[in-house]
Amino acid sequence: MELLIKNGFVFDPINGINGEKMDIAVKNGKIVESVHDRRAKKIDATGLTVMPGGVDIHCHIAGAEVNTGRLMRPEDHIKDTERKTTLTRSGVGYSIPSTFTTGYRYSRMGYTSLMNPSMPPLEAKHTHEELNDTPMLDKASYPLLGDWWFVLEYLQKGDLAECARYVAWMIGTTKGYAIKIVNPGGLESWGFGRNVHTIDDKVPNFDITPREIMCGLAKVNKMLNLPHTIHVHTNNLGLPGNYATTLDTMRALESVATDGKPVAHITHLQFSSFAGDDWGSMRSGAEEVAKYINAHSHITCDMGQVIFTDTTTMTADGPFEYTLYQLSGHKWVNSDVETETSGGIIPFHYKRNNAVNATQWSIALELALMIEDPWKIYLTTDHPNGGPFTAYPKIIGWLISRKARMATLKKCHKKAQKKSLLPTLKRELSLYDIAIVTRAGQAKALGLKNKGHLSVGADADIAIYNVNPETTDIARKYKTVRRAFGNAAYTIKDGKVVVKDGEIVQHVDGRTIWLDVQTAEQVKVDEEMKRRFREYWTVEYENYPVTDHYLKISDPRTIKADV
Amino acid sequence: MITLTPLKQFRFPVMAECINPDVFQGKSVDEIVQLTVWEGNKQKKLGDLFKIEQTPAETPSIVINGNVEEVRRIGSGMKSGEIVINGNAGMHLGEKMAGGKIIVNGDAEGWAGSDMKNGLLEIMGNAGPYLASPYRGSSTGMRGGKIVVHGNVGTDAAVFLKGGTIKIIGDAGPFMGFRMCDGTIHIEKNCGTRVGACMTGGKIVVSGVLEEVLPTFTIDSVKAKVKIEEGDSATGPFYVFIGDLAESGNGKLYVSKANNPQLSTYEKYL
Amino acid sequence: MSTTVNAVTCPVCGCLCDDIELTIENGVVVKVKNGCAMCESKFFNYKNEHRNKTPLMRKEGKLVPVSYDEAIHKAAEILANANYPILYGWSSTDCEAQRVGVELAEEIGGVLDNTAVVCHGPSILSVQEVGIPTCTLGQIRHRADLVIYWGCDPWSAHPRHLERYTTFTEGRFKGSEWKEYMNKVKASAGKKKLLSLERREIVKRKPEPIIEKVTVNKPPETLGKAGRKLIVIDVRKTMTAEVADYFIQVEQGKDYELMLAIRALVKDHELDVDQVAGVPVEYLEELVDAMVNCDFGVIFFGMGLTHSAGKFRNVDVAISLIRDLNRRTKFAILPMRGHFNVTGANTVSTWQSGYPYAVDFSLGYPRYNPGETSVVDVLLRKESDAALIVASDPASNFPRKAVEHLVANPLIVIDPHMNATALLGDVVFPAAIVGIEKAGTAYRMDHVPLPLKKVVEPPEGILSDEEILSRILEEVRVIKSQRMQEAA
Repeated sequence: MELLIKNGFVFDPINGINGEKMDIAVKNGKIVESVHDRRAKKIDATGLTVMPGGVDIHCHIAGAEVNTGRLMRPEDHIKDTERKTTLTRSGVGYSIPSTFTTGYRYSRMGYTSLMNPSMPPLEAKHTHEELNDTPMLDKASYPLLGDWWFVLEYLQKGDLAECARYVAWMIGTTKGYAIKIVNPGGLESWGFGRNVHTIDDKVPNFDITPREIMCGLAKVNKMLNLPHTIHVHTNNLGLPGNYATTLDTMRALESVATDGKPVAHITHLQFSSFAGDDWGSMRSGAEEVAKYINAHSHITCDMGQVIFTDTTTMTADGPFEYTLYQLSGHKWVNSDVETETSGGIIPFHYKRNNAVNATQWSIALELALMIEDPWKIYLTTDHPNGGPFTAYPKIIGWLISRKARMATLKKCHKKAQKKSLLPTLKRELSLYDIAIVTRAGQAKALGLKNKGHLSVGADADIAIYNVNPETTDIARKYKTVRRAFGNAAYTIKDGKVVVKDGEIVQHVDGRTIWLDVQTAEQVKVDEEMKRRFREYWTVEYENYPVTDHYLKISDPRTIKADV
Repeated sequence: MITLTPLKQFRFPVMAECINPDVFQGKSVDEIVQLTVWEGNKQKKLGDLFKIEQTPAETPSIVINGNVEEVRRIGSGMKSGEIVINGNAGMHLGEKMAGGKIIVNGDAEGWAGSDMKNGLLEIMGNAGPYLASPYRGSSTGMRGGKIVVHGNVGTDAAVFLKGGTIKIIGDAGPFMGFRMCDGTIHIEKNCGTRVGACMTGGKIVVSGVLEEVLPTFTIDSVKAKVKIEEGDSATGPFYVFIGDLAESGNGKLYVSKANNPQLSTYEKYL
Repeated sequence: MSTTVNAVTCPVCGCLCDDIELTIENGVVVKVKNGCAMCESKFFNYKNEHRNKTPLMRKEGKLVPVSYDEAIHKAAEILANANYPILYGWSSTDCEAQRVGVELAEEIGGVLDNTAVVCHGPSILSVQEVGIPTCTLGQIRHRADLVIYWGCDPWSAHPRHLERYTTFTEGRFKGSEWKEYMNKVKASAGKKKLLSLERREIVKRKPEPIIEKVTVNKPPETLGKAGRKLIVIDVRKTMTAEVADYFIQVEQGKDYELMLAIRALVKDHELDVDQVAGVPVEYLEELVDAMVNCDFGVIFFGMGLTHSAGKFRNVDVAISLIRDLNRRTKFAILPMRGHFNVTGANTVSTWQSGYPYAVDFSLGYPRYNPGETSVVDVLLRKESDAALIVASDPASNFPRKAVEHLVANPLIVIDPHMNATALLGDVVFPAAIVGIEKAGTAYRMDHVPLPLKKVVEPPEGILSDEEILSRILEEVRVIKSQRMQEAA
């Protein structure tokens, strides 16, 4: 199939294209130099904005945790339903949409690739089964490895090479894409209801510290040549004063950085940038964190924007969710996974008139505006933790328009208003910047070579929005932009038009991307390994791996490791 | 006034949230006939299921003549006007209602007055389970208004009650007022087990028999009289219990002394 | 020819033991290693039971053999024409079939419900109100030093639960209490032998004064011991209770009161009563001490809790207790799920529709309200006009009035065996046995997904649940599009 997108204003930051009027040609699902002018189907993009398809580096959309969130919140679904059509399956929202609805809603916003950031290896099959039922998108998952006993033991022994081999084995076994670290050491401690509070606390029963886990895995990540860096959810997340821990974490990782390239992605940075001593004195630590990131090149991050709405928080950080339970008394799910990780879920309503919530809202925007290089910080809500992904257009509005964010700030708690740094921040992102923070930057940080740009050979994942950058002052007309990004004029997935005017016009299945990491010497699967398996887990070695049966469309990327 | 008469005995569930004075307001009969309802998995028009007539009388706004126990969500979210149902009413009658009045000359199925905010719901017969209680997973609960049931009430009524008054002239089922935090319930006859479990505030008055008080309630005093609402009080004497201790709660449970001699063992703690 | 297949997942109960070793000779299982009696019975007997060899259809009152094609067309016609069909069962089939089931329910605007509605469905209602602090079974093996079984008897219903996951397993931080149990069993066997000798008057003993009344429910000295402790709370002394360190006999139907009282005691409140549900409050205080002072505690609950007076509120109070206890130490709670893939049925239904069971698609989108949209209630109110039953036998376990309405309307049954429901059906499909003749996926009671193996071939020509359902779905779509064309 051939397709020609004519005359649009193209924003393709990886290629430095900033709103130039040009045509994009597509053939067989890829961007090509040119197509047969007569045969090709044409899309007239005159007066419209053309970007690569959106990429989300961190959104909880599938797996055990997400599904337990769905199960516990019928009151969240009943207010937001999707009727079956001849093309689409039915479903429910709101903060934790059912799988089909998740796919459709992302697609309607022009997104084409997502990263599901929290996969307990033991339950990886579940994650993949759900991803198979999440249409319209290419997907990948990060296995949770920061508190896996194998990792703790090999790092504690100082055997990085063996650790790397096991991590490579685990990524292949779970069909994963990157190393996810959540509250390193804290999750193992949580097995007995405890936590770690600095990056140098010893993990109970294991002679190791969070610093050693993070630096060790960052080195392993390099040895394995993984396309993405380690993906870190810091210690003390969500607690006042934690910006200091975040700074400690980033400083600790300096030792791994040698070539000026990023070695770690600090995810949902907002939740890790609180200053103050307690909830009463909690304030923004964005300035300190942004200053550090501006001065260093080894860190990328994403926002973790808070939206004022009723949402569902869910993370592998069991002790953090427990803190939320203590604060709120809400219904609370905790789910620890043997040998690997923990998890927790709490419904949460972020309110403008709550000083802490309003400050959180401000912090994320402060970070996005004060971190000067848009290639370092990406737009996320840590869906659904800060709010549902359907709020992305709102965030775009706040980023491109001082007027938009001041309008919201004015409605916030007085104390939060007074402490907010937003009034001093004049920066307004351009559409070029938005293309970076919503796709190009994310694709680059993930090492997704065929995504996030429109060069010849790239996947033909394209979003077209109804914004004319020539005639629209986006800072003033932010509502127009918000509407446009909420309902793509076209979404094109693998060269197929799947959305038109915000409606699904074709149901397609996306691919599941995973890494086949090839180490020179491989993990030995012998009787000893099987015995150890039985000792550590309650399932047999043979039944642990995610087999091809669990991937509807498998897209393995072969990686040659240095070990 | 609009009169609705069912054209048949409904077999499948009928979803008819459009039967609501606010929706009918300003519409002609022809327009009302066209309103959308669902019967089982088929979409229908209101006129397919009901004979619809208009009379000049102002009140009540809507009268339904006949049994409509399969018709659900009547008066859902209504803010004003009056509905009279001469027959039995289906589930979710007057759920989330914020004003106006519903009178049922018959029984009402489950979830009547669910999450009610204001207005009056009067059921001349019996009410099913979950009267005034919230939807699954929600802790909203009834916040205001008044419900009167002349017959008996099913299980799990007034869960998460946060305000308003519920008067039950007959008997009440188990778990009445579960996790309630405010508001008043008066049960004129007998009450099922585990009344007030996990309550943290509010008032439950049992004028009839309550076999057993939960072990996590502690006796506070004996009172001669208790106020139900402005101009209405119940005469005792009543044992007054405080609970539920499992929630470190401060709810008040009044139980008739005369009708419950088995509770006299508590008197030693007074 | 004899082959051995190892790491087979057992398709019987929610334990989903995956270490079964089978020996197969000439396409028949001849040896089962590691399995419990239930497991052995399943793998040895699946062939001997009343297997149905061909689809059947009721014609002139009699079930007669027909082709799959004819049966599928008939089934699709029934479902496509129904105004309020129900689709029930699902807990004894694989997730792959369940996925098609949800799609079919949506396509025909039906009510989809699984057997959780009559077992742990009520537990889910409580999870929706208060959440659930839980964990995978391995966490318990490695860490738990206090294991409480409440209203369940794993010894009989989940035979390998204790040896694989809890008290009798060797964990990283906590050891097995197997030896102690052996001593206890020996002692108890000795006692029994003595009693039997007495009965047969071979040995004569002076009758001891019976002081049972006082010691009933008294905690043993060992409650304060180091190492793993096992407590059983039930209305009767079950097999599991026999091996427990402490057995609490709760008065019938008073679990709620007992648990609520424990909650108040955990919060250091004083009670106005001396005993609750037959247990003196001073004993309860000792129990609370044991709970608060453990490193990692867990409560497993069964139908004894979900189906006695109070129903799902019993689970509510149990979970609330665990919430309270987590403010003092680490505690988890797990339901003892029965059917091997009832957890999967809830899981699949939830990711596709947002709701775990009792999902009503009649309005074109998922709606959920057990009591309103649950199949038993739908049947009792006589609302449905057709039914599809998959891998379940509601005719033998639903209330009589519900069964009457079920069979009064067209009834389609997919099951490997001729069960009671199948005998009453109008269209009956034989199916391959999931986990023996069909590979797939099932979820363990703690939500760990495990692959099910195909170890032998199904009887010739027999399709799987997944295939049958897919073909019905396809046929329904054909019928519907024909109808749309006719209308146009």
